[in-house]
Amino acid sequence: MKTDLADGQTLKEMFASGTVWLEKSAPDINAINVFPVPDGDTGTNMVLTMEFALEEAKLNSDNNASSVAKSLAHGALMGARGNSGVILSQFFRGLAKGLEGKAHFDGGDFARALAGASQTAYKGIVNPVEGTILTVLKDASKAAQEAAKNDNTLVSVLEDAVKSAEDSVARTPSLLPVLREAGVVDAGGQGLYVLLDGALQFLKGESHKIQYRRPRLVVAETQLVPRAAQRPTQLEMPHGYCTNFVLEGQNLNLGKIEKDLKKKGQSLIVTGDDTLVRVHIHSFEPGEILGYATKLGKLHEITINNMDDQYAEFIKMQRERMPSVDIAMVTVATGDGFFELLNSLGNIIIVPGGQTMNPSVREILQAVESAPSDNILLLPNNKNIVSAASQVQSLTSKKVKVVPTRNIPQGIAAFLAFGYDMNLEKNAQAMEKAIDKVRAIEVTRAVRGTRLNGLEIRKGQFIAMLNDEDLIARADKIGDVILEALGKAGAEKSGIVTIYYGAEIKGAEAQEIAQEIRDRYHIEVEVVYGGQPHYNYIISLE
Amino acid sequence: MVKVVTDSCSDITPQLAQELGITVVPLYVQFGNETYRDNVDLSTEEFYHKLETSKIHPTTSTVTPADFAKIFTKLAEETKEVLTITLSEKFSATYAAALQGKAIVNKDCRIEVIDSKAGACAQMLLIILAAQMARAGANLEQIADRVMRAIPRVHFRMSFDTLEYLRRGGRIGKAQALLGSLLKVNPIVGIKDGATFPIARPRNRAQAMDFLVNFVKGFGQIEAVAIEDATTPDDLQTLAERLKDVVPPERIHRSKVSPVVGTHVGPHVLAVAVLEAE
Repeated sequence: MKTDLADGQTLKEMFASGTVWLEKSAPDINAINVFPVPDGDTGTNMVLTMEFALEEAKLNSDNNASSVAKSLAHGALMGARGNSGVILSQFFRGLAKGLEGKAHFDGGDFARALAGASQTAYKGIVNPVEGTILTVLKDASKAAQEAAKNDNTLVSVLEDAVKSAEDSVARTPSLLPVLREAGVVDAGGQGLYVLLDGALQFLKGESHKIQYRRPRLVVAETQLVPRAAQRPTQLEMPHGYCTNFVLEGQNLNLGKIEKDLKKKGQSLIVTGDDTLVRVHIHSFEPGEILGYATKLGKLHEITINNMDDQYAEFIKMQRERMPSVDIAMVTVATGDGFFELLNSLGNIIIVPGGQTMNPSVREILQAVESAPSDNILLLPNNKNIVSAASQVQSLTSKKVKVVPTRNIPQGIAAFLAFGYDMNLEKNAQAMEKAIDKVRAIEVTRAVRGTRLNGLEIRKGQFIAMLNDEDLIARADKIGDVILEALGKAGAEKSGIVTIYYGAEIKGAEAQEIAQEIRDRYHIEVEVVYGGQPHYNYIISLE
Repeated sequence: MVKVVTDSCSDITPQLAQELGITVVPLYVQFGNETYRDNVDLSTEEFYHKLETSKIHPTTSTVTPADFAKIFTKLAEETKEVLTITLSEKFSATYAAALQGKAIVNKDCRIEVIDSKAGACAQMLLIILAAQMARAGANLEQIADRVMRAIPRVHFRMSFDTLEYLRRGGRIGKAQALLGSLLKVNPIVGIKDGATFPIARPRNRAQAMDFLVNFVKGFGQIEAVAIEDATTPDDLQTLAERLKDVVPPERIHRSKVSPVVGTHVGPHVLAVAVLEAE
């Protein structure tokens, strides 16, 4: 059995070297700091704590190992910053206890001191959590004790401890879910590993190498879950048949084929050259597509799939991808702006549809089934869809509460009233209460001349409906009809007006109208892109 | 007499602390290389001025074990019983530091450390309760027991213009569900089990104020209420006026967000804490 003996000076220099190494790693360690508080300061805190420890040791001129260890412990305790700093100070306290009375120490002494440090660190924490610096320290100390049985030299003991610390850091995401979810290893554990690694380099006489290199973050042992992927909350509308084929011909014009097919379906892809073209399209009439293509050349590899069948698969896949929540929400909306807006408000599954295309009971049911919870709040956002939504309740084993929102402003007010600390029933109640406080104005163009509510309307005039029932204004200019409708709906008594502008409206026009409303009624006005078809503007008054 | 100690994240004003004989241990705020003791070297007003004008975003750090040890050692000369109530350990290592500090003090003095599982003016309500009992002559056991029983009855709500500061400081927790809204909202955040929790999304400051008032009205019997602002004393005044009919004014305590808390919540916040009657 080989032995060598280290003194207080060696101990000092080991950790001085470790601190230099740690300092280089600090920015990386800060960046992966997610537990217990993701405030990005673990690296800095550990370095600051070490600086205090070294400062104190430096003032101690005694070359006695025990005495230096005590100084390190005292300094670390005085300077402990953050959770990792506090644990680090416990580490040194344990180390000092282990080396007590020893002027010199060998690998075995150091291993025993590490074991003591690990115990002290665990005892110092109210709720020790595995997968953190504590686990790394424990694993390193175990490896050190194993190593000391065969080879008592300090360098070989520390070598095994460092190797084991590194492996332990790599395992932290398997032990601590919050790390796995964030896709990182434990910051404090990484810090301890780097500190010990730096100390080892000093013992090996390789301190000079530290100057030119930088410690790397340990790579996790298991595949990490990538950072929260975008949730596919918006259901794709089934579009009949997915049609694929290869067209062989001469002088084929890709541009023209694309232009012609564009009118016949969705999700069109045309690729290839003038002799061979691959086509992918979603269409309700695949026959028409094939008929068009056969006029241009020969068809190969024709596949036609019914997408309603695929839809069921998609739903299944979507469900698997979403994290489950206590309460999920399902709603009906149309317009890319509204899709984005609703997605920004929470766990909301959107069934595309609205005024001109009411979704079927089956489509709503599928959305309910795909939602990542057994408790569902269902908001139809249209008076014509309320009854379809109500039928869904009896068709699923999930608990579904229908909040009878009749238009999208009511729906959004209801979503904002969602309380994270309330159950399904309480939330449904809170949402219904919120609905009552909202009035909705919808602005569109009259498709024919008529007489309504005693108002003569010419074809092409703008008209405004209140709560999708009463015609309250008409005018040739869109700004006029909005201002008049707001007056009749009681805008001056509202707290806030939100303007959702449609697909055909320019944002600048909406902003101008908003300013007119502010000037006339002195109220808060927010402009948001809704992207809805049919209605030029949908306006909510709260 | 039992001495009551807390950290500066209780947002207790220096005046009230002095009046009630409470020792407040400051956390630290850093703007780059400049370090300030919370509410000692830097007032809330100075802090928000710096926040607005400084290019560097501030960071905070916890009380050190040595800070606590120093305070405990000093208090041990005056008393045999010290009660320390700290910020929730889920927000900060201050609780751990207090325990550490306690461990290194070798004096003939009992020191108890309690995690308030709260922060800001919610923590303050517990401190006031403890300090009042201490003045009335209760012993350490009695006070600690009463405080422990009060912790689950303290409810906290804070309204924000933006959650950006909470997010940046890493204390947003589950309230991140309120982030990212494409509609302008003034989110309300609470504290549940010692950590941040999402509550509601009023559309503007007026609705947020209504929410806070209705929140207080929702309780049956109230022992005490604390309210605080950061940069909007007029709003605090309005809130106080509106609560007058709900809670007797002498049971409404006012405070101000400290620089350390301010680093994590930003300007324009308004908060209420309710200590529900037993």
